[in-house]
Amino acid sequence: MPNIQRQTLEDGIIVLKFDRPDSPANIFDLETLAELESHLDELGKPEAVTRGLIIASTKPGIFMAGADLHAIRKMNTEEVKNFIQRGQDVFNKLAALSFPTVAAVHGAALGGGYEVCLACDWRVASTDSATKIGLPETKLGIIPAWGGCTRLPRLLSVPKALDIILGAKVLPAKQALRAGLVDEVMPREHLLIAARRWLERGKRDHGFTHSATVNAVVDAVIAPGARHDVYKKTHGNFPAIDKALEVILKGSSSWDEKDSLEREREAVTELIASDTTRQLLNLFFLQEKARKFSVTKAARDAKPVARAAVIGAGIMGAGIAQWLSARGVSVILRDIDAERVAAGMGKIAGLYAAGLRSRTFTERDVRVGMDRISPAPTEVPLKGADIVIEAAVEKMDIKKKLFQRLDELVPEDTILATNTSALSISELAAVTRHPSRVVGLHFFNPVHKMQLVEVVQGRDTSPEVAQRAVQFAQRIGKLPVLVKDSPGFLVNRILLPYMIEAAALFWQGASVADVDSAMLNFGMPMGPLRLTDEVGVDISLDVAATLAAAFPSRMHVPDVLPALLGAGMLGRKAGKGFYKYRKGSDASLNKQVVKLRPPRMPNPPNRDEIENRLVLLMVNEAARCLEEGIVASAGEIDLAMVMGTGFAPFRGGPLRHADSVAVAKVADDLTRLATSAGPHYAPCTLIKEMAKSGQRFYDDD
Amino acid sequence: MNERMVIVDGVRTPFCKSGTELSAFSADDLGRIAVNALLTRTGLDPALIDEVIFGCVAQPMEAANIARVIALRAGIPESVPAVTVHRNCASGFEAFTTAYERMAAGRGSIYVVGGTESMSHVPLLFQEATARKFTDLAKSKSTAQKLSALTAFRVADFEPRAGLKLGLTDPVCGLNMGETAELLAREDGITREQQDAFALQSHQRALAAEARLAEEMCPVFVGGKALLRDNGPRSDQSMAVLGNLRPVFEKYGTVTAGNSSQITDGAVALLLMTESRAKDLGFQPLGVLTAYAYAGCDPARMGLGPVAAIERLAKFSTLNLADADLVEINEAFAAQVLAVLARLKPGIPPDKLNVNGGAIALGHPVGATGARLVLSSLKELARRQAKRALVTLCVGGGQGGAIWLERI
Repeated sequence: MPNIQRQTLEDGIIVLKFDRPDSPANIFDLETLAELESHLDELGKPEAVTRGLIIASTKPGIFMAGADLHAIRKMNTEEVKNFIQRGQDVFNKLAALSFPTVAAVHGAALGGGYEVCLACDWRVASTDSATKIGLPETKLGIIPAWGGCTRLPRLLSVPKALDIILGAKVLPAKQALRAGLVDEVMPREHLLIAARRWLERGKRDHGFTHSATVNAVVDAVIAPGARHDVYKKTHGNFPAIDKALEVILKGSSSWDEKDSLEREREAVTELIASDTTRQLLNLFFLQEKARKFSVTKAARDAKPVARAAVIGAGIMGAGIAQWLSARGVSVILRDIDAERVAAGMGKIAGLYAAGLRSRTFTERDVRVGMDRISPAPTEVPLKGADIVIEAAVEKMDIKKKLFQRLDELVPEDTILATNTSALSISELAAVTRHPSRVVGLHFFNPVHKMQLVEVVQGRDTSPEVAQRAVQFAQRIGKLPVLVKDSPGFLVNRILLPYMIEAAALFWQGASVADVDSAMLNFGMPMGPLRLTDEVGVDISLDVAATLAAAFPSRMHVPDVLPALLGAGMLGRKAGKGFYKYRKGSDASLNKQVVKLRPPRMPNPPNRDEIENRLVLLMVNEAARCLEEGIVASAGEIDLAMVMGTGFAPFRGGPLRHADSVAVAKVADDLTRLATSAGPHYAPCTLIKEMAKSGQRFYDDD
Repeated sequence: MNERMVIVDGVRTPFCKSGTELSAFSADDLGRIAVNALLTRTGLDPALIDEVIFGCVAQPMEAANIARVIALRAGIPESVPAVTVHRNCASGFEAFTTAYERMAAGRGSIYVVGGTESMSHVPLLFQEATARKFTDLAKSKSTAQKLSALTAFRVADFEPRAGLKLGLTDPVCGLNMGETAELLAREDGITREQQDAFALQSHQRALAAEARLAEEMCPVFVGGKALLRDNGPRSDQSMAVLGNLRPVFEKYGTVTAGNSSQITDGAVALLLMTESRAKDLGFQPLGVLTAYAYAGCDPARMGLGPVAAIERLAKFSTLNLADADLVEINEAFAAQVLAVLARLKPGIPPDKLNVNGGAIALGHPVGATGARLVLSSLKELARRQAKRALVTLCVGGGQGGAIWLERI
């Protein structure tokens, strides 16, 4: 079946429309590339008397989603090389046509889907909300290699192209126009008329947009700064970004298209063979799955959430209310008095103001979003709420009282959700008349940045309610992971032992700098002691106590936390914890904290040991969660850890990491540490068994 | 229809002097806040509303038919229509009585009405001649034409005309509202001291009623703080302080900024239903409208509007002044209220008149005031366990409006 439809308009204008059969999306595989090539060959012949070419799509939401990543993931190096070469060749043919060409984009044009547009003379796009344009490759550990790194700098200038490609940016139509990615935007219905108008302009002058001196300037001025900025962000852990940077800078200084395309090919082939990129691709597939995770028909048919109520206007409550309001959901924001509601409204206004500055929102978006929020400083009827999300203080007795009352205030089919990060959903649900509609909906802080939401299924939560909660999370653009109710749920349960052990290592004589830089080096976005400061020593202590009570054999409250609490060093909010914080300057080590600890032990662990111990502890707890069936699959754990904690994405998550180093080695190391560093390192049953039988967490490598 | 119209609930923003705490909010912002708070606290499904009717005197240019803008911004479904009404200072009344007329005609049973005004945002205007010059400039094509159009401008062209001043001047009799009050003071021989004493009492009563007035309000959230207090009432007011103010309108006159209503921002929203609908939905209404009337009078003596309106009200109701447990006469000017009182028989005892202060202390956001008077008097009837209130106000252009309300 053909992947491309061809239509001839009366005056020698040809329209090629991507139309992948039996699929909502268009993608570039070898077959589609071959088909495009044969069309181009035919149209390019003199006897075809083609006067112009328009490239479009028949799909309602996708122009062209890019290269077939699932296929690439399975290719060997030689196959990858050929695939990339094919794409480049076909796009080069498109660029070399003697008649004018226009890409008429409606829907997503991503990666290879935008690179085909770059090979056209002109680009027009519909203003529809489905239209999204960009080059997100570096996020997946690869680079735009079908001419993206070569043609975009020539179209926009080097600094602007770096911004798009290194930032892996995907922009809506109007922003794409402002960035120069497209030449004009218009309503979908006018797309073809506009495309024909642009054809009349003829070929675009592909000449040099920069003179030779500018290229020298690129090398001398832009390059060192760009390299420095990139290193500061990646610590060299994201080779795709480094490669993209080099390809673009080199391409710009020599300005030879052929050489530059060759560098694209070499770079991407090398990247795809690397472990880092394989892990990033795996993660991308996991994310896709979580986003599309198909819910049951009953949940799909249930009334979609249009109106919500958030109880508690603190940091989390305000963050959730803001996110919902920006996603089209009307929200009642309730707290116990006007002052608290006012503080929450202030935070929401602040989030919108920041979004306005970063151009995430227009002024109209802000007004419409703020208008969706109904502040409620007293108890109000909640008859109209489809979901209630409680984000009050983390005290079980307060939450129980609240849920008893909420149970009376809402209709029977309203979902009652709690944003608790530590308390038992099942215990809370038990105080209501309908525990089957109580579910955990654990957002992470800051809500607008963290994509993960743990959907926590209590003992009595009905599958239908859990599914509706999952669907709700998807609809508001979050990544849901369905987890069972158990202390710490998933992410905190794995993260907390790591934070506790980091604090214990410090107590035993390791330096704050060693502990944190060991984990930064591993690829965590923030060291564990710095993270403790950010979370707050008091809150960390609370969660540690909950977990220690639940798992007394392997978790404990480290002495350092009460000591810090006693000294008033609560972390960032108090201005000091493991670090000192001053407005306007970077955090610096807090020397006082060292004075709190007992006399130094003779041989504190070095950075390698620290990294090994802390990582293994996370791996062990992650495996235990899988063993206990807290989640259904290893993939969900890895996705949750990367999205919820920033766990080194290029390592794919704790269980992928275990596969990379081999489960048998993990088991050996843990057994050894159980004797040398403490029994809490003892490997869990699942790891022991897998080590014995030589199993892996994933069987796709 | 022989069904009565009940007031189910109502809420207002704090009233704040123009240019102060609410000055960042436009009239539609304020209206949205009040309507949103009303819907949130009543829990009414907004799809049940038959129409939204709002009064606004100086409608912002950017929010034509402001009632529709408010309705949509407050989360009322697109399918619910909305209309803006204008009867000058009685626009808030007009929204209220229009809803009644809709119900009486069988057009619907649930209405959200109110009034809003941001006097901070009443615009400055260009003079007519200047506007013509701008049109010429826009029309000119060649550079020479443009240059010639540009040179037509004079410095005086940029002297703005204050929209507020224009709006407060009667185009028929040519008098400013304050001048109509001066006229009444002169003709009735109302002294400066009488006016100042009345103004002082308004402030004292409003200050004493601060907590009671807060019961009518929804907070306005601004800069992380909850605003929940009218800022018009002045605690430093005394006869001496008031006596030091200069007359504003006439050199030897008696009407000062101190004994006139304040220029203020604010909005009010009321939920109105037929009595049976309110009962069906399980609401406990605040009260019921029993009669109302509008009447015209001499525009130069517009302050006497309440006298004409109360007289006309007798056509629709057998009640008389003695039946009122509470009376609200809007305080456009102290002189004007005193002139009205002198003409009303039987006289109104001071402990029934404007018991929580009036517009001299609280301010007069013109489009909103009528709705506030309805809300305030119903709340006060409930506090006093009393039965009836007569609410009346004078209207620029020479009209009066009067309403009988009853607690149920």
